[in-house]
This record gives sequence, structure tokens and C-alpha cells, in this order.
Amino acid sequence: MENDGKKKCTVRFEPSGLGITVPVGTVLLEAAHKAGIYLNSICGGDGYCGKCKVTVDEGQFQSRPTTLLTPDEIRQNVVLACQAKVLSDMRLTVPKSHALETSQILMDTDAHRFSELAGEVRAGIFKFDPLVRKIFVEMSPPTVHDHTADHERLYLAIRRQVDAPIMQTGFRVLQKLSGVLQSCNYKATVTLGRRGRTTEVIEVEPGDRRKRNFAVAVDLGTTTVVAHLVDLTTAATIDKEATYNSQINFGEDYIRRIIYAEQNDAFDEMQNRIVQDLNSLIVTLAARQKIDLQEITTVICAGNTAMIHFLLNLDPTRIRREPYVASAGFVPPIRAAETGIQINKRGLLYCLPSVAAYVGSDIVAGVLATRIFVKNGVYLFADIGTNGEVVLGNRDWLVCASSSAGPAFEGSGVKHGMRAGAGAVERMAIREDGSVELKTIGDMPAAGVCGSGLLDTLSELFVNGLIDRTGRFRADGQPGLTQGEEGWQFQLAPERDGHHELVITQADIDNLVRSKAGVFAAVRVLMESTQTKPEDLEAVYLAGGFGNFLNVRQAVTIGMLPDVPAERIQFVGNTSIAGAKTVLLSCKALETAEKIAQSMTYFDLMSHPQYMDEFMRAKFLPHTDLALFPSVTESLMHRA
Amino acid sequence: MALTGLEIFKLLPKTNCKKCGMPTCLAFAMALAQKRAKLEDCPDVSQEAKDKLAAAAAPPMRKVVFGAGETQVQIGQETVMFRHEEKFHNPTALAVTVSDKLTGEDLKKRIQTVNALQFERVGTKIGVSAIAIINDSGSADSFAAACVAAKTGGKLPLILVTRSPKAMAAAAARVKDTVPLLAWAEPDTAEEMAKIAKENGCPLAARADSIEALAELTEKIKKQGVEDIVLSTPEGANLRSRLFDLSKVRNLALKKVFRPLGYPTISFVSDGSADAQMAEAISLICKYSGIVVVDTVEPHALLPMLTAVMNIFTDPQKPVQVEAKVYPIGEPDANSPLMFTTNFSLTYYTVESDVEASRVPSYILVVDTEGTSVLTAYSGDKLNEKAVADAMAKFGVDKLVKHRKLIIPGYVAVMSGKLEEATNWEILVGPRECSMLPKYLQEVWS
Repeated sequence: MENDGKKKCTVRFEPSGLGITVPVGTVLLEAAHKAGIYLNSICGGDGYCGKCKVTVDEGQFQSRPTTLLTPDEIRQNVVLACQAKVLSDMRLTVPKSHALETSQILMDTDAHRFSELAGEVRAGIFKFDPLVRKIFVEMSPPTVHDHTADHERLYLAIRRQVDAPIMQTGFRVLQKLSGVLQSCNYKATVTLGRRGRTTEVIEVEPGDRRKRNFAVAVDLGTTTVVAHLVDLTTAATIDKEATYNSQINFGEDYIRRIIYAEQNDAFDEMQNRIVQDLNSLIVTLAARQKIDLQEITTVICAGNTAMIHFLLNLDPTRIRREPYVASAGFVPPIRAAETGIQINKRGLLYCLPSVAAYVGSDIVAGVLATRIFVKNGVYLFADIGTNGEVVLGNRDWLVCASSSAGPAFEGSGVKHGMRAGAGAVERMAIREDGSVELKTIGDMPAAGVCGSGLLDTLSELFVNGLIDRTGRFRADGQPGLTQGEEGWQFQLAPERDGHHELVITQADIDNLVRSKAGVFAAVRVLMESTQTKPEDLEAVYLAGGFGNFLNVRQAVTIGMLPDVPAERIQFVGNTSIAGAKTVLLSCKALETAEKIAQSMTYFDLMSHPQYMDEFMRAKFLPHTDLALFPSVTESLMHRA
Repeated sequence: MALTGLEIFKLLPKTNCKKCGMPTCLAFAMALAQKRAKLEDCPDVSQEAKDKLAAAAAPPMRKVVFGAGETQVQIGQETVMFRHEEKFHNPTALAVTVSDKLTGEDLKKRIQTVNALQFERVGTKIGVSAIAIINDSGSADSFAAACVAAKTGGKLPLILVTRSPKAMAAAAARVKDTVPLLAWAEPDTAEEMAKIAKENGCPLAARADSIEALAELTEKIKKQGVEDIVLSTPEGANLRSRLFDLSKVRNLALKKVFRPLGYPTISFVSDGSADAQMAEAISLICKYSGIVVVDTVEPHALLPMLTAVMNIFTDPQKPVQVEAKVYPIGEPDANSPLMFTTNFSLTYYTVESDVEASRVPSYILVVDTEGTSVLTAYSGDKLNEKAVADAMAKFGVDKLVKHRKLIIPGYVAVMSGKLEEATNWEILVGPRECSMLPKYLQEVWS
């Protein structure tokens, strides 16, 4: 803690009563962090998300001017914690809204609906051959005539069951080997891990322990981290859990986090945070399924290149600077414990290979899961996360690009946006009488709007003529439109039962339109570069954390995806984790993933001459060029 | 037909071996298609692929060079009909005529005048790039003498313009070390002219009454062993028909890869007043003339032509930038707000219009970020506290305003701490969207 002779002040946070002593001038958000108080802060303290509101009950503070507080709030002494400095002892109240969310992330239930995508291994497309497996070996104990040493005896026994030309044993395993083998009369379970062409003896246990072999597959997202617990003997997913990426306090996108880490020398902290997120997921899953952490032998991760760098504490700083270079695209398997991940001490951590600084292993996993790499014809895959990555291709070629779409469709950067959790509006429609029909997750009172709800809202506002083609509200006496703090807004739900009203503002719409424009511009650049026409597309796969239900037609109506018939568009949910699990269960799939990563041709959009033009053209609904959206145009005409 | 990236890709080994220096075979194929790579860089390409690609890889429009040394002129090698499709490669060369009827001092003076037609525009030197000697006299000796005078009287490359093979032979032999462009071979003089061009190692212009005849003519010349050809399209009845022909030639060359017309063009504008020539020449610059020859030496007529060339041959792939400096909006004084943005023109003009809309007189400090927008520049480390502090110092903002407050874009609010340290100014975080600037300036600032 700083000690530069400055006066100290005590800051107390209600209702928890937690307090902290900090020097005068400390920013409230920092004081809250130090006190262990969780404050919602999407922008990481930059003063623009307006989420870190707290009420000052007592004490002096200095605050920067902001447009994010209403006059009412200012009267009530509400401040943005990131914009206010402590001047004296203070007492603050943290609103209830900060407490929600964390435990309510909705699990991805798409997997079973798209089992044909996730179940390659069970379907026999890839041979079931997990990266880490346990085999039971029965050796005849040594005799005078058969005096082969224990270690070589073990290798012979292993090779009777497994094709393992190159083998390796860790020093610790070697030291305890003889003891273990003698204790069980040479009937032991061997854990074998693949490290390239080498097979490593990770563990030797007495008796038959084959059934106790588990792994955790992880989708390492910028916003959300999802973990699936997999039984490596049955290939079944036995449990799922998700949490927010706790790095989010350092910035909502990874570029900001890289900048933060660089400026504050916080790379260790970044790694600690993500490793802690992983550990808490693993511990939760293990405890729930009554599994000993020692029985988890593998962790496999797919994620964007920057997240993988943070996890391994590799230098990510050149990702953001020309010419945008990653430290490693293909990460060799390493000891999970070396990163701080708490599974079996000798368990392995695998990361799927990435393509480029801005197209990570989550996208390689997506290509693997959607199987576009074996198909004829041309397929489009779009993964809408904090970035919008797009892949186009087939068995012969694959091209990809990443647009900084922004997290609007993850509910971030939208006034009442939220991630797909309980109470999130996931479907929205405007009835003929102009009233609004909402469906929330868990049928709870509407607390915010998640990706699929935002997609519906944008589309419905557009087709009902409440916004024009530029996304501007048509403020000529339309029902549902009101004047808010930030100009015209559309009311989705009135204030009710202690829940604030839900609105969509002009800024929200601008943000959503920009996001969709970024994605569509990337799609156009790839299609133009490969002379692909919309009618050439056999299928369009849309992945991302939108929520549970996605009306894919709406994605065409707003011009995010090319105008192809709705039956050719498939919402495939979280393909990052689906692909990671496939690799986990089959060495062959890992080889395939590496081949995919190697063969994908990356288009850098920032330096692409057409991208800016395409982006500007895509900033209309559905597009400046209506000829690109014939079916949307026709249905609008029909409606008019 | 030029092959697309995907078509070339099918001919490559598809091993993604990276030996060519590109990450994938497709990336290499696309680079080949855009002429950014050479097939030799692929060590494993098959002979069959080489043959197919070589045929397709030849540029649809040949590059032609004339002149020598630093004033050498390069034309042709264009790849697109419209600049925004990629870019135009070689700017139109402007040439001015010198008649061989002039002699002595008159000739010398005219040559000097033409050579002196050089200008500087926004820091770039532009000027006439060639001198066209016209055989008005009909005499081979006069023509040769004028050509020698032009060679010794200045550095500009020469274009020798005569229909007479005899005159051409005499002149070309005298000035061949300057590699002049010979104009013209016509259907009846093709063989003789081609012979002269070949002997002297000079490029040759071809001229015929129709595009069809022109195509036949270039084939004839090519058979004589001359490959560097420039097309002189039919002069036509009017400007409209000339532009039509030039567009048709360009289209056939690029879109149909019709090799007999795959050459740059030369156009002559020698009639009318200086103003009329200017208007016609600019039209011809816009539509596909590799060389435009004019008669006028009036600077007021030539500068617009050169400006047109400069503008049309700007690379659209480079972001358009505004000058980094302080822009006063309205009539700001020492108490007016000061804010910064980047020098990407789209960013600047958006901010400018919103500041104007606020009716609050203000200063906008434009920071040089190599033409990138605020977030792009910040993400790529082109916009940081040092860049802003340097710009503030360079443009003396401390003398413009009495207060010490700087409004920064809301999207880079994260910079505020470091910027405060670097400048000792109070940093005010402005709105993220500049559409909120009017509200911010009216309510928060005042």
C-alpha cells in the first residue's frame, strides 16, 4: 500500500459493512476493489459505462463531470465510483443491482440440440482416442529368468495395448514406480498423455483405476468462461459451469486488457485472475460430481489468441501493434500445474492451435465442430462474441477475418443489455396494436436484454417502421417512443415490482448497427475476395452467446448475415467448447485442428482496402445496397 | 483472362509449407493474383502450373518506359477500370509539343519554356514529363535537328512525332541514347517504323483509323520484334468518341485480356485555345490516356491538368488524413474549450460538424495518428499520452487558452491518468459518441 504521508481516510461500504483505509485522493472504485466489494464496471474504470454507480451517504468526495448521471441521481448523491475521489472518511451504499449476475449465467443448452455437431467422436467421425487416457496393465512379476527392470517391463506392457513408439517417463513417476508395482503385484493403471508423437507416462496407480479419468474442456472467452466436465472413459459430458472472466475489470475487450497490463505491469495479475476463474470452475464441477481433483488429468482450452496468452503468461503486447504478431499459435501441451491450474499435479494442459493474432483457437474449434473443413460447396461460419470472427470455405480452402464488432450482442455497451441469464429478454416482438411481447429466460421479471432479444428488438423496430434505414428513431408520434435522458428511446417494459423500466436508446441502436455492420463487412470482404455469391452458400452457421433461442431470420433482416433462405442458417451455439471437447476425445481431431489452423488464410481487415467501404455501406438497415437483400426488401414492400 | 486467387490456388501444391514467406498457399495465390508476389518464390510448384500461370500472370496491360535517367517516364501496367477497385499505378505523362518549323533562338526558347513547366503543389513537385517534337516541316533534316536541340536543351524525355519513316530514321539515330518514344507507325509504315524502333531500341506508338485496325497493327509490329507499344487511338470526330474508344480499349485489355490492345495509350490535344485544350486534356487524363500531348505552354492551363493527374493517381487505399494542427471552430477565445481527436479525416469531420452544431466556439487539436480513428489508433499504440502531449506542445495550445483543461474522447477515457501526468492539464472525459458533444459542451463545459 502506498505510504507517501498522505492523509488516510476510512471508506465503509453498506450494506455489507466492509471497510478499507485508503490515502486521500484514492478513486472509489479502487477502494471498493481493495475492500473486496464487487462493483459492476464494464469499462474497467474509464468512466463511460455508467455501471459503477454508488450512493454517498456521508463524506466528502471530488467527482469529474459526466453525462451518465441524471439530475435526480446527482441530487441523491449518486456518483460513478470510477470518477470520484475520496477526500474524507466516507460511508457509501452499494445498490443491489451490483450483486446480481455472477451466479446466473445460463448454461449453453444448444449442445444437445445440435448433437450432430458436438458428437463427432461418439458418431465415430473421429476415433475415440483421448489425449490423456488410463490403461490397465497386468504384468507378470519378475523371476530369475525374467529379470527385465520394472520400468522397461512397464513399457513392454503398455506397448502391448497402445501404439507408442516414443515414450517418456517423468522423474517423479520413475522414482515411485517400483514401489507402486510391487504394492499391487504388477497390476497397475497407467495414465498416458500425448505430447506430440511422444507418449508420456503421467501417473502410475495401483490396481484398476481406469474409470476415474476426467477432463475439463474450457471456452476461454473475453467475457465469459465456460467449462464442461468430461468423463474420459465414456466420452460423456457430465456437468457444465460458467463464470465471468474476472479480467473484465481491466477492460471489456482484450486490447484494453493488454494495454492495462502493459501500463501497470500486470501480466501476472492477468494470469492469476484467469487461472483463478478456471480453478473455481474446476473446483465447483469436481465438488458437485464428487470427483477428486487428482482424477482430473486434462484441461483443454479454446479461446482467442490474447486469452490464451494471458493464461500462459506469454507476451501479448505485439498482438495490438503492427504487424500484429502472437508469441505462439501452436502451444505444446504443458503441465497444467505450471500455470497454477489445480488438477492432477502431473496433468496436462492443452490449447487448441490458433490462426493469427485476431483469429484464435476458438474459431479453429468452430471450424472443427461445424465440419466445414470436410465439405464441398461453400460454407460460412460467424462467431459473434466480443469480436466477430468470420470463416468462409470448404474442404479445399478456408479464409477468415476478425471484425472488432464490439460486445453489443453480448449485451455489453447497451444501456439495458445483459448477458443471457435469468430475467434476460431473449425474445421480443411488436404486436399489430403496437404493444410489446417479451419472453424472458426463466420467465422471470425482465431485468435486461440479452443478444437474441437485442437482435429481435432491432429487427422489430425496423420492420415496424419505428426506426428508419439509418437506424434513427422516427419520432413522429409513434407509440412506444419517449424522450429520455439521451434523446428518443423505445420502451420495452415499464418500471414494475422494483425493476427499472427497460428501454432501447438511440445510442444502443447505433451500437448494434455498428456491430452488425462490422460482421457483415467482414463477410463481404471474404465473399468478394473468393468470388462467392450468396446463392453459393450451402449453409451459414451462426455461433455465439446470444442466448438459447435465436430467430436466425432476424439476423438477415438487419443485414448481419447474407440474404440466404432461413433454412440454410443454423444457430450452433458455443462451438468453441464443442470443438475443444472433440479434440479432447480424439488425438486425430487434434491433428485435424492443427491442419485447419495451418490452412486457414487470414485477411487483415484493418489494412484491407475494401473493409472501410463495406463497413460504411453496411451501416444501413439492412444495407445501403438493397439489391444484396432481395428477400428483406420484398417482405418490407409487402408489409408497406 | 487473369486468374483469380482461388484459380491460382488450385494449381499450387496446397502444402501450406510457408517456404514462400506466406502463411498459406491461398494467401500466396491471392498475392500472385494481385501481382504482389512472384511464382518463383514457390519452390514446389509443378511445371504444368508454371506454364499455366505464366500465361495468365502476364500483366493485362504492358508497362512501357521511355526516356533515360531520372526523368524516365513509365506508363501502362494498369489493372483496374476504376480507382477504388485497387488503385491506378502509373500517372498520365503530360507532354508539350515543339514544332520542327522553329529554328535557332525560337526553337531553343520553346524547348526551354517547356522544360521549365515544373510546379510545386502541397509539397510535391509536379510538371510536364516529356517533350513532343512534331515534324511539321516535312523535312527529315529539320526534324533531326529539332530533336537534337531538344535533347541538348533539357532533360525531358522525347517523343518523336512523324509519319515519315525517313524522318524518323534520321532523328532516332541521333537521339537514341535518350530512348525516345517513336510516334507513329501506321498500317502502311508499320514494318519500316518497327524496324527503326527495333534498331534504336525505342518504344513505338501505333496509330490506325479504328480499334480493329489498331489491334491488327500491334500484332504486325510485335511480329517485327517490337514489344513496347503505345496505342494512339483514332482521333475521332469529337471528344465523346475519343473517350468512348479509350474506354473500350481499356475494357478489352483488362476485362477480356485482349492482348493486341494490352498497351498504354497516347492522346494528342493540339487544337483550340489553352482553355479548350485544358478541358479536353483533363477529360483524357480521367479516361485512360497514358500520355497526353498538348500544344499550350500556359501555366494556368497546365497546372489544372497536373493537379488532375495528381488527384486521380492518389492511392485510395491510404487513409485520407487531415493536417495535424489546432482548428478553431467558430470564434473561440482564451476561455473556449479545447478537445483533441485524430487526423483520420472521417473522424475529424464528424467531430467538427458536431462541435459546430453545439454553437460553442471551441478548439479542436488534431493529433497525427497516421490517419487512423481514435480507438484504432489507441489500440495500435499510435495514440497515447505522449502523442497528445507532443501535439499540445508543438501547436502551442497553452498560448491559445488560459484554462488548463483538455477534453478527450470518451472512448479513450482510460488515457486520462497518464495524460494528466504527462501534461499537468486537467483531463475531462468527453462523450464516447461525438453526437453527444453538443450536449456535453452546452451542459458540462459551461
